[in-house]
Amino acid sequence: MLKIEHLVKVYPNGTQALRDVSFQVADGEFMAVIGLSGSGKSTLLRCINRLIEPTAGKITWDDTDVTVARGAELLRIRRQIGMIFQQFNLVKRSSVLTNVLTGRLGYVNTTQSLLGAFSGDDRARAFANLEQVGLSEKAHVRADSLSGGQQQRVGIARALMQEPKLILADEPVASLDPVLAHSILKYLEQLNKERGITVLCSLHFLDLVHRYATRAIALKDGIVVFEGLPQEIDDAQFKAIYGQEAERVTIV
Amino acid sequence: MASSISTTSARAAPLVTLLSVFIPGAGQFYLHKRWRGALILLFVGLLAFVINWALATFKIGRVTLGAFTTSWLWLPLILFWAWNIWDARHLATGKPGNIGVGVLLAALILYVIAWNVTDVRLERLVTRFADARKVAADLANPDIFTLSAPGQEPKICGLGCLVEQARLRLTGAEVKGTLRTSENFRDIMGRTKVGPPSDWLIRLGLATKDAQAPRFQAGKLVETIAIGLLATLFSTLLAVPLSFFAAHNVMSRVPGGSTIYYVMRTLLNVVRAVDTVIWGLIVVVWVGLGSFAGVIALTIHSVAALGKLYSEEIEHIDPGPVEAVTATGANLFKVIRYAVIPQIVPPFLAYTLLRWDINMRSATVVGFVAGGGIGFFVVETIRQGGYREYAAALWTVAVVIILVDYLSARWRANILEDRPRQAVTGRRLSLRTVIYIVLGLALFAYCWNVAKINVQALFEPAPTFWRLVRDFVTIDLSQDVLEIVTKQMLITVFQALLATTFGAIFAIPASFLAAKNLTGRSKLSAWVYYVMRSLFNVLRSIEALLYVAIFVYWVGIGPFAGAMALAVTTFALLGKLFSEAIENIDLGPMEAVAATGANRLQVIRYAVLPQIIPPFISYLIYQWDINIRMATIIGFAGGGGIGLQLSTFFGMLQYHKAGTVVLFIVVVVALMDFASAKLREKLV
Repeated sequence: MLKIEHLVKVYPNGTQALRDVSFQVADGEFMAVIGLSGSGKSTLLRCINRLIEPTAGKITWDDTDVTVARGAELLRIRRQIGMIFQQFNLVKRSSVLTNVLTGRLGYVNTTQSLLGAFSGDDRARAFANLEQVGLSEKAHVRADSLSGGQQQRVGIARALMQEPKLILADEPVASLDPVLAHSILKYLEQLNKERGITVLCSLHFLDLVHRYATRAIALKDGIVVFEGLPQEIDDAQFKAIYGQEAERVTIV
Repeated sequence: MASSISTTSARAAPLVTLLSVFIPGAGQFYLHKRWRGALILLFVGLLAFVINWALATFKIGRVTLGAFTTSWLWLPLILFWAWNIWDARHLATGKPGNIGVGVLLAALILYVIAWNVTDVRLERLVTRFADARKVAADLANPDIFTLSAPGQEPKICGLGCLVEQARLRLTGAEVKGTLRTSENFRDIMGRTKVGPPSDWLIRLGLATKDAQAPRFQAGKLVETIAIGLLATLFSTLLAVPLSFFAAHNVMSRVPGGSTIYYVMRTLLNVVRAVDTVIWGLIVVVWVGLGSFAGVIALTIHSVAALGKLYSEEIEHIDPGPVEAVTATGANLFKVIRYAVIPQIVPPFLAYTLLRWDINMRSATVVGFVAGGGIGFFVVETIRQGGYREYAAALWTVAVVIILVDYLSARWRANILEDRPRQAVTGRRLSLRTVIYIVLGLALFAYCWNVAKINVQALFEPAPTFWRLVRDFVTIDLSQDVLEIVTKQMLITVFQALLATTFGAIFAIPASFLAAKNLTGRSKLSAWVYYVMRSLFNVLRSIEALLYVAIFVYWVGIGPFAGAMALAVTTFALLGKLFSEAIENIDLGPMEAVAATGANRLQVIRYAVLPQIIPPFISYLIYQWDINIRMATIIGFAGGGGIGLQLSTFFGMLQYHKAGTVVLFIVVVVALMDFASAKLREKLV
């Protein structure tokens, strides 16, 4: 279980990204985080694996206090939490296989990994995960020769190498052609349902939330303005989250 | 799809292998790896040539087996050939080849030869360390200030003395003697002297001819600044019209334009391949020694460099407006005026500012041969063993060039940012513009005077100049001249290779310390960052030619001293470029790799290294290219190589032999320029 209590993040330039955010994610949930750009969604997700240092508050993951973890313990927590990014964040010049194998770095010996050596076991795992996302043919091509949708699937395979119990997905489909959004989210849904991986995913489009999420929270200016089931978001709620100007849009 | 390709070539594997056995690279070429194949063949040819040359000329790698004498360097070449066969076979069976082995073997051969021909004496760096300390002490105590105690000769006040003086003054203690700028410093910057007023003042009626008034006499550094400014102005004025003749998209609209285009481009490339300092040698024969010769030499080289950049800028303009204006029925001149010029003014200005920076640097060394500016001053002080006077020149040059570098970069950034101004205020000249114009004209007139521009001399060349022109057309291509020139040219190329390597070895670790995104945010690392960046900037502000004197004193005259001087500037430039490349990496992958639980070293290995290796290699090739150009002139200061040969031929008035040297330089520099640009294009 992931438990966020009174989380606050103030950036050095004074921006209040999160002001007193509290919520819980039960194991096996597919939880969506919605809100406008700049509402604090990315900051929230990055505080959970401490890519960003929270200013105050407490984050508990599987009964471990993430906020106080240091050094090797922090790395051990990170390796249990997979992350998928809006811009995919692949190393463009490295091969697809190498990119996937980097997902294993939290497990392997440092010296060996610096020499670029991975065990046969890890390589087999990498091919299996590439198979899972339908890209085993592309293992040896350079990452930047893939399309956006394929790159994001490599990102998923990389996260799977960590054998994660939780996946943080930061706007995983926002940089993709809308028609590809479903293909990516279906993979996440499959992992959630078949492997029981908890998913915490920030999304832009409300109909994607309706379709995939089991629960949702909404952030506005760093404050939780809604928490509940996706279908509970009615027109009034919608205006409260996105502002009076906003219109509902649907994508195919 | 991928599998079908590998099966067809797998069938061809024996054929491919056989091809590479007989002609290196042929198998690779057959497999559509055209670049790889061509490079392998080229390298086998080049390596065989240099191994043979090194054995014949320097006895490098000589081994005697009974009555048979040969070079052991043939062995790595044979291994290189074997690697090529192995590589072809691997590629044919669909496996990725390994370039590393080939690169290592070629590097082994090249470095063994480079080490020997450059006459590397690393032990001298240690055994003659006492000499190095003496130079270092002189550099730290430049002849800039003097302290004169009552009843004593004024003494030079160096670094320690200045700190002591500052301490005395701050603590309010009694100060003995007076601190003032030294005579040497006034030689560099200038001094006021009572004398007759300048021609300009008399002509403007502001002074009478026999009036005596204190007058500022420009020093060597001010002269250098004037040379750089004037050369930039003249070359811009000349390059703007020329660049249109070298722009393909303009010339293709004129009948016969393509021919003009090719002639123009070739001319620009040839002129550009000859360094400013070498132009200086030629121009001196034309107008005689002096700062005017420096201005002309700089202008010639700068016109060619700017002409190329300008014409490329013209070729890359947005064709939309051109199409639109042409559609209105405008002729070529109108199209240029209304669709081309508005687009090219900002980039042209930016290139001019960049060139100003480069010209100021060249102006500091052109005096080595042309006899004006601070370069001339340095030659004179070194000749008299005045290392503290020389040190003062280095420090003042560093200050001026750092300032120029900063201003040029800042103004360029402003221009290229290209903000739309509030409103275009009518036709009237604002007061500010008028003041700028008046100040600009005054500056121009002053520089004209300081640089002793003598237009008449341009049209009355010395009689030897016509001999030079005649001899440059009928150059000496006899066997022994060719042998000497080939030898010196190859030494120069190898010297540049070693200098690049030495510089890079130190620049790589240093660049990591000077990259803001990796050093972290602690106070110490912020200090390290500023120290490293300042070190790069100070070392980079002084031309390699000015450093040679230090290394000549330390390791002795010869190519090794030249290579060391080049290594210093290489370290500074590569350090700057590398650290900027590190700062420009995409942070996303670092974030992603860190999120998997990887530690700091693993993040560097998997997210940073793959991003920086290609730009690093690209910069290394670029630097080697630059160093070959610089190495052609390093000999003028005792750094060995082809420059020494050239100045000897010039000194003995053997212009037909000097012409051969210049021809070689043009060919080698242009070839390297082309090859390095192509290679870098492939890499990025």
